Amino acid sequence: MMTPLYKYGLFGDEFSLLVAFVLGLGFGFFLERAGFGSARKLAAQFYLYDMSVFKVMFTAIVTAMLGVTYLGWLGWLDLDLVYLVPTHLGPQIVGGLVLGVGFVVGGYCPGTSVAALATGRLDAVVYALGIFAGTFVYAEVYPAIRGFVNANAMGQVTLPEVFELPWGLVVFAVVVIAVVGFWGATLIERRFRSEP
Amino acid sequence: MRLPQLTLNQKLAAVALALGALALFSEPHRGPFVKLDARELALVVEQEVDHVKPAELAAWIVEGRSDYRLIDLRTAEEFAAYHIPTAENAALTALADYPLLRNERIVLYSEGGIHSAQAWLLLRAQGYEGVYTVLGGLDGWQDEVLFPALPAKAGPRERAQFERTAALAQFFGGQPRSDSSAVAEAPATALPKLTAPAATGPAVPAAPRKKKKEGC
Repeated sequence: MMTPLYKYGLFGDEFSLLVAFVLGLGFGFFLERAGFGSARKLAAQFYLYDMSVFKVMFTAIVTAMLGVTYLGWLGWLDLDLVYLVPTHLGPQIVGGLVLGVGFVVGGYCPGTSVAALATGRLDAVVYALGIFAGTFVYAEVYPAIRGFVNANAMGQVTLPEVFELPWGLVVFAVVVIAVVGFWGATLIERRFRSEP
Repeated sequence: MRLPQLTLNQKLAAVALALGALALFSEPHRGPFVKLDARELALVVEQEVDHVKPAELAAWIVEGRSDYRLIDLRTAEEFAAYHIPTAENAALTALADYPLLRNERIVLYSEGGIHSAQAWLLLRAQGYEGVYTVLGGLDGWQDEVLFPALPAKAGPRERAQFERTAALAQFFGGQPRSDSSAVAEAPATALPKLTAPAATGPAVPAAPRKKKKEGC
């Protein structure tokens, strides 16, 4: 059997929604398990005394990267068929900063706010309303910023393509960066935990 | 000598490092060679799931959808004279080197339907999965979208259908044919100017653009 299953037509649109729902439940479950249903835990990331967000997210990246690499190597996954979000470097850096500011101010990112909403937290309700308001404002101003949003179009690119490096080397480098990062994050936590 | 006691996190980090190191030798991308399943291809052809109807394509263009690549397989001169809006020109011989990604939805068309069908098979043989042809090619586009004709004995349902296609035809700078006399002189209808669709923009309200959202 070859994946991606949806692209190979093994199931249709309706079933793909069901799959997305199940995956979403799993995602939410693990966010809650990591403690990310609490804005305190998430905000702690920015005060540097609890680096859980960094560790969990980077662990997810490394796990997914290794999984995709080995599935492709074994011939179970056709990497060329996997959709990648097209890269627009400048606009995406600005978008990341806007999301980061919202993260610090609101205490959630979009995914964790939904997880927190599911457990009935009031601040998550306010945050969710903010998401709708933000989406509305973005849609209204989109015509004015259309040019910037679509600037720096690089297409569906991966790091090995941009830096012209072998795939395996980038995989290994990211794992090393992650492990060194986790070690560094633990040191930072120790340094800042005493003075919260 | 005893190994130092590792915590679970340290063990996991060691496993990740080992897998990462082994990945240095990996070749995760599939090569250019694919196995074609003749029976599966025949099934795809028979069930006609490899087609995009001209009206469907027209609706995509009106909606401003960007999740497909429309490839015109005719010559550059023919392309310059007229092409379906949003199309890119890639001659059949140049298709092998044309920058297409295998995770894209690729819609092919030629004058009739033969070249696009052949190109479809060439792309399938190179492992492209999402390849479609415009049913009837450019001829089908002209008959169905640009110059749709109302049947002589049309019922109310056909009339309503014709109203919709007529609006679409005007959007693309075509000319709906409602009386039978016009149908007779069909070959004389000239293809619209290339700028026509943009000029008549608001005639058909465009559906809101769907955007794929992913991330945390």
